[in-house]
Amino acid sequence: MNLRLWPPRLWPPRLWPPRLWPRSLAARTAVVLLLALAVVQAAALTIHALDRMELLRLAQARETAARVMSVYRNLVNVDADQRAAALAEMRRLPGVEVVLSESPAIADLPPTGPPERQLLRVNMNLAPMPGMLRPHDIQMFGGPFWHRLIVSLRLPEGGWLNVTLPMEPPSFWYSRDFLIAFLLMTAAAALLTLWAVRRLTAPVSTLARAAEALGRDVNAPPLPEDGPLEVATAAAAFNTMAARIRRFVQDRTELLTAIGHDLRTPITRLKLRAEFMEDDEQRRKMLLDLDELEAMVSATLAFGRDAKSTEPVSPLDLAELLRTILDEAADAWPDAAEKLRYDGPGHLTVHARPLALKRALANLVANAVNYGGGAVVRLIPPAPGISHGTLAIAVEDDGPGIPPQELDRAFEPFHRGEPSRNRETGGVGLGLPIARNIFRAHGGDVTLANRPTGGLRATVTLPV
Amino acid sequence: MDATPHILVVDDDREIRDLLARFLERHRIRVTAVRDGREARRAWTNGHYHLVVLDLMLPGEPGLDLARWMRAQSDVPIVMLTAMGEETDRIIGLELGADDYMPKPFNPRELLARIRAVLRRAGDATDHRTDSAARALLFNGWTLEPARRRLLNPEGAEVALTGGEYDLLLALVERANRVLTRDMLLDLLRGRQAGPFDRAIDVAISRLRRKLEDDGRNAQLIKTVRGGGYVLAATVERR
Repeated sequence: MNLRLWPPRLWPPRLWPPRLWPRSLAARTAVVLLLALAVVQAAALTIHALDRMELLRLAQARETAARVMSVYRNLVNVDADQRAAALAEMRRLPGVEVVLSESPAIADLPPTGPPERQLLRVNMNLAPMPGMLRPHDIQMFGGPFWHRLIVSLRLPEGGWLNVTLPMEPPSFWYSRDFLIAFLLMTAAAALLTLWAVRRLTAPVSTLARAAEALGRDVNAPPLPEDGPLEVATAAAAFNTMAARIRRFVQDRTELLTAIGHDLRTPITRLKLRAEFMEDDEQRRKMLLDLDELEAMVSATLAFGRDAKSTEPVSPLDLAELLRTILDEAADAWPDAAEKLRYDGPGHLTVHARPLALKRALANLVANAVNYGGGAVVRLIPPAPGISHGTLAIAVEDDGPGIPPQELDRAFEPFHRGEPSRNRETGGVGLGLPIARNIFRAHGGDVTLANRPTGGLRATVTLPV
Repeated sequence: MDATPHILVVDDDREIRDLLARFLERHRIRVTAVRDGREARRAWTNGHYHLVVLDLMLPGEPGLDLARWMRAQSDVPIVMLTAMGEETDRIIGLELGADDYMPKPFNPRELLARIRAVLRRAGDATDHRTDSAARALLFNGWTLEPARRRLLNPEGAEVALTGGEYDLLLALVERANRVLTRDMLLDLLRGRQAGPFDRAIDVAISRLRRKLEDDGRNAQLIKTVRGGGYVLAATVERR
């Protein structure tokens, strides 16, 4: 089981190469929003550019028409014999080519398209000029697409005036500054989008953390019910759910405790009654049964009580506590006394809840004796010179160990090692869960592993 | 001490009262059994008792209140029956001056042993009984706290003791510089320890010496007295 549950992955862990479709909500939302932003920006830019080109086209048509008409007027207004001189004068205009001819220009360009022709013609008609002088016919070739325009105007007295002038297609951009400003604007919008998305999706990770915390401790503090409406609603729903779970756990614990309390009176009665039995052997056996029953009830009560441990933390000598636990184990199981050994420093002061810690460690030793026939307890102090180190306690036995697939389940309440639930080894299956609850309440933990040389090793870690 | 001590049992379960009375009477202890605080007060005024066995979980008046009331009346030894592992009850009870406690469900023989040990302690040395106000007994830098049944080393860290070791050490500290015979000590351990009793004393003493950092070969604190007995050689300060 290498599933990593914490911390949850909110941002793709690898930045390069980037995934096309990221896993995190924030990144996905950002990708969608940025794509939408790009589409909107492109559309806006296109509309703007088309609009601008239309304007440019109008202005260009007006200007071109005015230039053509001014050439025409200058020529029409002079006498026929002076026209050659006027023509020469006009040829000095840059880019403009003016030719008088008997026929319209023989152009290598196609006739101008209807929209441009219409526009130019309207603008030419606007030029102020007596009606008799107006050209009798106008033909046009080329246009902005070909970068030049040829206009052939039929003079009132016959003959054609062919004017060739440049006509550039309208440019898409005003200037480079506009492009830079546009790119900056887009970048700013993108950054704001990223920021807003991170901010808006933050409550989701808060919720994930809260759910994780609830899994570890049902009494974890509730979520703040503020922020946007949907977030506040989700937080409130989560808090309600947490309260129900807490209630459920409490009910179950109270039920266990109540049953445990109620069992004490009949067990006491039975123990007293046993004293009046004539048959010594039967009495001895009955008392053993009752002791076992009592141990089960006591373990159940201890399991129920762990949730609300009120025992104060105080300094204690852990080395001496371990030796005392081994002494008591030796008294309880004289057969295993030879195989109970302590290995570690003579004294080690730690801060802990003495009774709880003793119960937890005694459970581990009892397990080792019951399943492995003995226990070697090693105390490994934290490395010297570290103020906030971790100490380790290893409880080892030479028993058969636990099949690897069972190692995790060993900590489940009411789970017992052998499927047969052999009564010989006793126990309710609460020893390890109780021990783990206690170690975790101390900020430590306990894990089980099979030793390479055979047998089981329970490793306890505790912060110092 | 009378040949047959008279004790008062307060427990709300009729069956337990009757069975306990029969059991104790079989072991030559006279018993008056009552069910709650009201009956206990009535019985108290009508008789004289050498010891009270008090269940703390009583209907009506709480057992702790009754213990406080009795303690105000006299020095009668009290053995409490507590709910299993209810540490707060136990500590409050011992601080009130109860002499011992048994978690319920108890083993009748162990209760009998405790009753006898407490009666003996009360009987043979009333002047040396732990003053109920004494919260700590100090000797050689070590601190024994009767109310919490714990031993603190000179650095103030708790040193774990088994129930038998605690009883043994308390007896030695209460009677410091006086020889305690093996018989007296055996009485303390009876009902506590499995296995052969005579070995139990030696084992418990050697463990106590280890915990008190008293060299077993050349013990200075818990000394062995020739002819079978032990003595705690230290000045005890009560606080």
